[in-house]
Amino acid sequence: MSTKIDKIDRLSELSAAKDDERGVSLWTEAFRRLRRNPAAITGAVILLLFVIVAILGPILAPFTPTDPSGIREGVVKSGQGIIPGPTGDHWLGYDHQGRDFFSRMLVGARQTLLVGVISTLIGLTIGALIGGVAGAAAGLGGRVGRWIDVVLMRIVDMLLALPSLLLAVSIAALLGASLTTVMIAVGMVSVPVFARLLRGSMLAQAGGDYVLAATSLGVKRNTIALTHILPNSLAPVIVQATLTLATAIIEAAALSFLGLGNPDSAIPEWGVMLADAQPYLGIRPGLAIWPAAAIIVTALGFTLLGEALREALDPKLRK
Amino acid sequence: MRASTRKAAIAVTAIAALAAAGCAESDRDDSGGSSTKDTLVFGVAGDPKVLDPSFASDGESLRVARQVFETLVRPEEGGTKPTPGLAESWQPDAAGTTWSFKLRTGVKFHDGTDFNAEAVCANFNRWFNSAGLMQSPDVTPYWQDVMGGFAKNEDPELPPSLFKSCTAKDPTTVDLAFTRVSSKIPSALMLPSFAIHSPQALQQYDASNVTGTADDIKYPAYAMQHPTGTGPFKFKSWDLANKSLTIERNEEYWGDKAKLKTIVFRTISDENARKQALRSGDIQGYDLVGPADVEPLKSEGFNMLTRPAFNVLYLAINQKGNPALAKLEVRQAIAHALNRQALVDSKLPPGAKVATQFMPDTVEGWNPQVKTYDYNVEEAKRLLAAAGASNLTLRFHYPTEVTRPYMPNPKDIFELLSNDLKAVGITVEGIPLKWSPDYLNATTSGSNHDLHLLGWTGDYGDAYNFIGTFFDRPKDEWGYTNKPLFDQFQDADTTADNAQRVEKYKALNAAVMEFLPGVPISHSPPAIVFGKDVTGVKPSPLTDERYSTAEFK
Repeated sequence: MSTKIDKIDRLSELSAAKDDERGVSLWTEAFRRLRRNPAAITGAVILLLFVIVAILGPILAPFTPTDPSGIREGVVKSGQGIIPGPTGDHWLGYDHQGRDFFSRMLVGARQTLLVGVISTLIGLTIGALIGGVAGAAAGLGGRVGRWIDVVLMRIVDMLLALPSLLLAVSIAALLGASLTTVMIAVGMVSVPVFARLLRGSMLAQAGGDYVLAATSLGVKRNTIALTHILPNSLAPVIVQATLTLATAIIEAAALSFLGLGNPDSAIPEWGVMLADAQPYLGIRPGLAIWPAAAIIVTALGFTLLGEALREALDPKLRK
Repeated sequence: MRASTRKAAIAVTAIAALAAAGCAESDRDDSGGSSTKDTLVFGVAGDPKVLDPSFASDGESLRVARQVFETLVRPEEGGTKPTPGLAESWQPDAAGTTWSFKLRTGVKFHDGTDFNAEAVCANFNRWFNSAGLMQSPDVTPYWQDVMGGFAKNEDPELPPSLFKSCTAKDPTTVDLAFTRVSSKIPSALMLPSFAIHSPQALQQYDASNVTGTADDIKYPAYAMQHPTGTGPFKFKSWDLANKSLTIERNEEYWGDKAKLKTIVFRTISDENARKQALRSGDIQGYDLVGPADVEPLKSEGFNMLTRPAFNVLYLAINQKGNPALAKLEVRQAIAHALNRQALVDSKLPPGAKVATQFMPDTVEGWNPQVKTYDYNVEEAKRLLAAAGASNLTLRFHYPTEVTRPYMPNPKDIFELLSNDLKAVGITVEGIPLKWSPDYLNATTSGSNHDLHLLGWTGDYGDAYNFIGTFFDRPKDEWGYTNKPLFDQFQDADTTADNAQRVEKYKALNAAVMEFLPGVPISHSPPAIVFGKDVTGVKPSPLTDERYSTAEFK
């Protein structure tokens, strides 16, 4: 537990921008380094494809993803173990409910992206709010501020102590199965990480010379926190957000797999598709392999880009 | 006293479990190396609730009870017709209210006591005189289903008892008197819940001492550890910690002795895990085979048995749920909207049929001329418009994490049906609930439900067991009151002459399908599978498989 906290704190300290190193803008420099990193390019290409598919999926899909045409036409008999495989029309064959599987994969990308992005946003917003308040209070708020910080951080530590999937499952069980539930549950899991990260990063900045300068010039403490410290502390949070997108997609798939996702599985979602494929693994393993591969590749894309971003923003590695 | 016994039992089983875990490897080697196979391990989906079938209605309890106990009348092997069991013959009197049973001689209970007329009466009197918690519908479900009430009804809502008295005329003749003529006699006596127990064991292990509260029922020692019947197998042990129950051959059985010495029922709740256990040889058979697994397992050489389809899956419509559902046109529209043939072809195992009425055609009283509702989207839309319900929103409950013999994949079936309903302009709000108790409570009580999936597997071969169970009285599941229909049921039930009664059943089926309280969907044949080298078990429509005839090739 404490090592997890230490790690996050250390990460934020390391990657927070040091004010005395300004030459080229931090972001220009980072972008330049990203372009030279093959892992970053791979990640970015994967993500670009993923986002295009997610946005254009419903237009690209050759068939209606909710239409059980295979059952209507009598070619899919999953009750008798007959699910036709890929054909010229149906590139990945049908699913167990007679729906075109390729169309479902395409449309499923949107749900997956939606869950990933919204749950990360939930985590980022709430986490940044808590971490920002705690960081600002601890750095500039004197004794009262430190108390606020202690209280907020202990709450965050409690959340952090719970295994993330367990926490997500508990939240999902409380709220009942739905797509919103999955977003909230996965979002809540990343709250403590973001909170810890931003707080640590802000604390590191609070001791900086420019803060001292602003204070001695009589700038209000709120203004210092919002316009001086916060922007300089955001880098590690952005890195973390990219990495969180990867875990969010995997966690959302896990929750859907456990039956806590969208109860109307007519709307495709990769995790639900994976769960639905279980009884038919012996007949048509593709029904599980495709969504699983899609989840893995997407998560890999986010991870590659996130790691590259972390390296690019790491002041220790700057030339 | 009881608490300490239980604690000791838990301790012992815990130690046994540890020991078993410790020497699991060597055990496996032993069984693999033995040359004579005399133990069959059978995978079941759940633990039995209780071993005294008087208190049971779940399939797993009854499966065990059917091997250990016997009834006066029993279903023919692989069929539903009553044939001699512990009674060799039976005869009603002229009025049809008193039935005289001639009992088999030379039958002994597992505890060595004699089976005779006295023992039969002791059993019937025990059920009839149930008091306190034993009158709870959860404790004596089948008695209340068949007989209604008890000697002294404690709940004023309970109907008067159909059973009146039992007289032991001589050691081999017993007279059962009833308060009125009923279609249920003698068929209902085939139910394992009417199996005959050893009166001495009942007394010794305090069998009627059901304690606890209605929400937390505690069954007596007899029902948990000492079931004593006359069947081809004796109960040996039930290890709840290891989820296994063992029965052993009854060497003093009056009929053909069991071919295998030991049968072990091992609980494996996950369907895929059961399949893998069969493939790996850990078990030599299991029940509730997923329809998609039937063909693969068959082609691998496993001995797949398909039971005749003695069940019905239906879409229930609650007329109190949404006022529009009380309109006949709306219910007809729903029936026309459903593409049941496509559902049966695609989702159910081979041999499944679309249902035209609420009972399978193997039961007497099935009517070939009921009103049918074919798949017709235009007709459905027209009917909805005519009823002024074009903009209908319906809640549709479906169960999760469950497989029923009549409903192998509820979620898939729900999806297909709701797609059909959406196609005619009905907005469907799907509500998934856990099967027990949430789903069953939500759909069979109160009026806060519109549509739901449910079904029934017949207990014995009489039409009343199907249509009477659903429609002969006001029920929250359907939310209607139809006095003429209820009277028609009452009339059929009390008709003594079988041929006349069958005609009345046919008329009832026609009346029900005119009134259309719900939409019958399908009859589907559930499968049970045995290992490649296991033979001798005959599939039963009532799930009354007899493991005594099982043997290894």
